Amino acid sequence: MAKPKIAFFKFSSCAGCQLSVLNIEPVLLDVLGAIDIRYFVMAKRENHEGPYDIGFVEGAVTSPKELLELKKIREECSVLVAMGTCACFGGLPSIKNYSGFSQKELEEKVYTELWDLKSFPAYGIDYYVKVDYYLRGCAIDLGELVTLIKSALKGIHPRFRFHSVCNECKMKENVCLFLTKGKPCMGSVTAAGCGALCPSLNRPCEGCRGPASDCNAASLARSFVEDLGLSKADVVRKFRKYAGNTPEFSKGAEAV
Amino acid sequence: MPVEAFVLPKSELGSFVAKLKADYEVFGPVAKGPKFVFGPVEKAEDMRLDYDTTILPPKKYFHQPEQDLMNFSGVADVAEGKKPVGKRVLFGVHPCDVNGLLSLDKVFLGSYPDPYYKELRDKTAVIALNCVKPCEYGFCASFNTGPEADVGFDLSLTDIGDKFVVVIGSARGKEMAAGLAPAAEEDLVAGKRALRACQHDMTRRIDVGGDLGEFLHQNFDHPVWMEEKEKCLACGSCTAVCPTCYCFAVKDMVDLSLQKGGRTRMWDSCMFYEFSRVALDHIFMPDRTARLKQRMYHKLTYYQQQFNATGCVGCGRCVATCVKHIDPVDVINRIQENPLPAKEVTLYRPPVKIVHTEVNPWEPQKAVIKAIKKQTADVNTYTFEFVDPQVRDSYTYDNGVFNLISIFGIGESAISISSCADENTGTFDHTVRAVGNVTKALAKMQVGDVVGIRGPYGFGWPMEEMKGKNVLLVAGGIGLAPLRGVIKSIQKNRDQFGNFEILYGSRTPDGMLFTDEYEEWRKIPNTRLYLTVDYVPPGVEWGHNIGVVTTLFDKMTSRKENTIMITCGPDIMMKFVVLDLLKRGWSPEQLYVSLERRMSCGIKKCGNCQMGPVFVCQDGPVFKYADIMNLPGGVF
Repeated sequence: MAKPKIAFFKFSSCAGCQLSVLNIEPVLLDVLGAIDIRYFVMAKRENHEGPYDIGFVEGAVTSPKELLELKKIREECSVLVAMGTCACFGGLPSIKNYSGFSQKELEEKVYTELWDLKSFPAYGIDYYVKVDYYLRGCAIDLGELVTLIKSALKGIHPRFRFHSVCNECKMKENVCLFLTKGKPCMGSVTAAGCGALCPSLNRPCEGCRGPASDCNAASLARSFVEDLGLSKADVVRKFRKYAGNTPEFSKGAEAV
Repeated sequence: MPVEAFVLPKSELGSFVAKLKADYEVFGPVAKGPKFVFGPVEKAEDMRLDYDTTILPPKKYFHQPEQDLMNFSGVADVAEGKKPVGKRVLFGVHPCDVNGLLSLDKVFLGSYPDPYYKELRDKTAVIALNCVKPCEYGFCASFNTGPEADVGFDLSLTDIGDKFVVVIGSARGKEMAAGLAPAAEEDLVAGKRALRACQHDMTRRIDVGGDLGEFLHQNFDHPVWMEEKEKCLACGSCTAVCPTCYCFAVKDMVDLSLQKGGRTRMWDSCMFYEFSRVALDHIFMPDRTARLKQRMYHKLTYYQQQFNATGCVGCGRCVATCVKHIDPVDVINRIQENPLPAKEVTLYRPPVKIVHTEVNPWEPQKAVIKAIKKQTADVNTYTFEFVDPQVRDSYTYDNGVFNLISIFGIGESAISISSCADENTGTFDHTVRAVGNVTKALAKMQVGDVVGIRGPYGFGWPMEEMKGKNVLLVAGGIGLAPLRGVIKSIQKNRDQFGNFEILYGSRTPDGMLFTDEYEEWRKIPNTRLYLTVDYVPPGVEWGHNIGVVTTLFDKMTSRKENTIMITCGPDIMMKFVVLDLLKRGWSPEQLYVSLERRMSCGIKKCGNCQMGPVFVCQDGPVFKYADIMNLPGGVF
């Protein structure tokens, strides 16, 4: 079997997910032996035109230029993967969508040279094109990345299961941050796959992997207010931080 | 016989544990922040025998969060994934958890004993620690699973101040207690009094003043469940920390060679949306209320119905771990305050079938593909033969049962057998639509390729019951596959059955299975075959009925008298087949349906196929409709 041709692309994001890809040291050489990276501007000097077998897209789409590029990428890639929460849901760039400012005001707040700037609200790439697989997280989980690559090589669906982070946290027998320390942990409504990374390090889950399947964000939002005494604004900020564009987390932001 | 009892002064606990350490690895309750967990113990002082409860129950040492089932390297080299364990002692297990293990035993050591669980259970001694102080959320007294453990331990300890009363529960326990001084009468009295006092202090209790199962079935649609659904986060913490929850998923993982890897089972939860997911992303339990009730009912009544064991041991962990404080005691109390009107209910009782296998039930047998026959664009019939002649010769099955087809590195899939049980050819057929990972991989295989197969599992069509009666067979789409054996059996033994009619519906003409066999079926004496499709594309010739399969009921000659109806197809089709026939005066006693659910084991362990109190894999997949029509959550 010929090695699949892989490409990595970046839109509005911090480039952290791409950087993580380079951090899979224990299996990096095996992975490089199995795939042919044709386009990866961060990591390679020589990059090649499409078509590609798999395209990994990092970042949210927030300008007409990016949108045109995304549509071209979709045409060039047989399989398109949204890599990281920005590409999946809009991520941190999407905070602006709920900031209360108009797009023009936002542009003026951030940039001084406005003559060539055109922007619109930030969305995940599946707002515009069909996405085949999602690698969630800020940054992505490398185990999931490798699983996805292996699945692609085998020609099967990776069947990620986006149940709650709580489950992984329980497996590690972490002391519950919400119940024991009163910290506003979002693990109960956030999709697992990170191995409960933050709660295991004594930090509450920030919800970076987006909503767990059929989660009940409204109920957790009510608990944030009633049990932990968070303000309404705090609750809104929590649910609008990484995946505020999703209907599930919107319910959390709108519940209080 | 008087109980054999000794005393262990607390001052000698250190030397007692040190002595155990010589023969055993010791695990006990240790502090983790403000909470406790079971963990390795070096010396007695590590342990906190005053602990209330642990985050995870001791089930983690037996039904491990992740358990390797198989290791493989390609298809040829498959080995059991058992990890050797030494002798272990679990020190200080509270009675609720002792009973939790006894309940897990019913699942893992009953029918198709699980060798991984058994190994860990056999090698581990349990030293129980009776409770002299109620814990915050426990309600064990409701189920007689505390505060005193009466069975299921090697030794049990009761704290009576400066010493423990030690009761012997097994020969292994007696060895461990060697050297202890016998208990005096007053020590035993002190122990009894301490436990009675604890029992007295327990205020949390589930007591419905009658049969809890009946009470719950009567209140299945109580508004309290909707209130709880609004609260429930569906996070699954309750199931992870439950000492009797055992559901798991099975997953194959490979390294980057794509050849070497392992098959692992890992804890799953009925609270998860994906729990009942099958290929094409069909979800059988999409509704959170249904999942929440499945969990609560499984604990409080279904477990009892299925395994004759306590499903809830009242440890209170699910309450302690729930961000929303969903509490079975509170839920039952609220229902009791305002119950729905009492009505007659029948609790489901599964058919009793205990299978003891000498071999590892997880180990598939190698089977080679002898022939592949294309049925439709995405459906093939594969003929398999076991590689091992002994397995091949001893393999028998009933019409309508299923095997798990295993492709190492991809996974396992439950597929019904489509050949005839009465044709003893040494081979068997599976007719498979390529929709999921396993079935698509199978579609890429060639004659001569080898897969793994284990089975057969479940109850098939009621061939004996059908003898001497008319048979009405109603099939939809791929649902004809498990019924093909019945058609062939009737053909073979035509004089044993009465009038025979086959109604077969498909979405389009090109989706019909076994089309080259229809002529032969029509030639079976006293047999009629009716075909129907939902839709005929332009330019396609079709000389038969158009419409859903129930539109054939007006055309058929079958009447309800002395007839058995058997049906398999999509749930929605079977629902209307059953409804229509009931409306026509047929009795639920004469209707048989074959159900499909997600199955990761086929042996009533993974829990994925649960439908209320029913395990479709072993209680079915073929059911008499009368047996399941009163399930609290309904069938279809």
